[in-house]
Amino acid sequence: MKKNIYAIEVKNLSKSFKLPTEKSSGLKQAIFNRLKGIKGYTKQEVLKDISFKVKKGEFLGIVGRNGSGKSTLLKTLSQIYVPDSGKIKVNGSLVPFIELGVGFNPELTGKENIYLNGALLGFSNQEMDEMYDEIVAFAELEPFMNQKLKNYSSGMQVRLAFSIAIRAKGDILILDEVLAVGDAAFQEKCNQYFSGLKGEQTVIIVTHDMENVRRFCDRAILLEDGKIIKDGKPEKVAESYLKLFK
Amino acid sequence: MNRKNRILLLELTKTDFKLRYQGSILGYLWAIIRPLLLFGILYLVFAKFLRFGSDIPHYPVYLLVGTVLWNFFIECTNQGIQSLLIRSDLMRKIAFPKWIIVLSATTTALINLGINLIVVVIFALFSGVSLSLTWLLVPFLILELYLLSIGLALLLGSINVKFRDIQSIWEVFSSALFYAVPIIYPLSMVTVYNAFYAKVIMLNPIAQVIQDIRFCLITKETETTWSLTENPVLRIAPLLFVCLIVVLGVIVFKKKSKYFAEEI
Repeated sequence: MKKNIYAIEVKNLSKSFKLPTEKSSGLKQAIFNRLKGIKGYTKQEVLKDISFKVKKGEFLGIVGRNGSGKSTLLKTLSQIYVPDSGKIKVNGSLVPFIELGVGFNPELTGKENIYLNGALLGFSNQEMDEMYDEIVAFAELEPFMNQKLKNYSSGMQVRLAFSIAIRAKGDILILDEVLAVGDAAFQEKCNQYFSGLKGEQTVIIVTHDMENVRRFCDRAILLEDGKIIKDGKPEKVAESYLKLFK
Repeated sequence: MNRKNRILLLELTKTDFKLRYQGSILGYLWAIIRPLLLFGILYLVFAKFLRFGSDIPHYPVYLLVGTVLWNFFIECTNQGIQSLLIRSDLMRKIAFPKWIIVLSATTTALINLGINLIVVVIFALFSGVSLSLTWLLVPFLILELYLLSIGLALLLGSINVKFRDIQSIWEVFSSALFYAVPIIYPLSMVTVYNAFYAKVIMLNPIAQVIQDIRFCLITKETETTWSLTENPVLRIAPLLFVCLIVVLGVIVFKKKSKYFAEEI
């Protein structure tokens, strides 16, 4: 039997959103529209017939302007959005980071937030107990763990979130703009972590930083207006991306 | 339920419970004090001043059971409906079964009910209510009420994601419903006035559960759906209604939840 070398296979994927044309979303408006025969929304096609494959162990970068459909693509891959048409085949477990610190609650302490965030990544209490010290050490936040999160600076919050995130184990990691975290010293730690992932793990990453694309990615995809307009070597794709703004 | 969902449900419930009484001095105690205070007010107004229920043995316990169960129903439905909006952030960022949100919100209400029932039992024993084997039936009746609440929360919650009016409509509707359930007035008052109305009232599953629990817990003189009608269809009508709501809730929720992440 042939071994499957692809981690993700996307075929003819399309996704559109219904954007309400009226400001108010309410029952009154809905009934009103129904009576007048107005649809009450416009359809916006965000992803148009996209196909690509990601090999196992590949570090893929997705770049493009704001609004080109990058995040929608990631969210559709992560099964947060349901595709209109097309197929997504995922071989293995997939861990998405659309945002760092999902579910973080300002009223809870740093420690409580670690356990909550860990649960969202699928870690039980016992597993978190084992990892807890390492997470706190990596974030360099030992003295603050019993403080409420609302008293953290935004940099501290992101550091904490990132330190939990890198514990997540999955066959495929999906990251949306989470490379630039913390100050220079912490950045260095993050870069080390990403370099360590390279070649080991399948990673799909969305970023605007071409420096990172060149540094980490094996391959990149350029999205423009919901279509893939370039797919290939990171240097080439970065070049095309920068050309978009000229 | 797989392992990941179980972990998520547990942690979300814990967080809900922790956050509910954050920053209040009495903390969790409010879970007991609030229904007790409400009971105190109702007791003063209806039992003392208006002299309702003077013909019913252990009327204060009777009233307390009613308010505690009603509170549970309201907390369950309201929290369940709102929970989807409160947790919108999660739905937009990670993929997980959305019913976990509703279930965790209603579990918090269930825990509160558990605490309150302990108070009810202590209160009942002090008032001289005697232990009886029928007490064992109470959990099943609570399950029926819980299923009704979850069904409603799933149904209304999923519509509320798009049409926020539902929350307000439900608030008004439920406060009207309060008067259609024999909590502050004994059902016997209605039976004396018009037996037909009493039968209609008892078709409501909330009324049926409350009266049945009073029957099992306090006094066998309680009028129940079963005692008011001979018709077998009418006798199981409340239960059928609960099943209908649960099935409807699950179907609608399943259909709508796919699009929560983009609609919210």
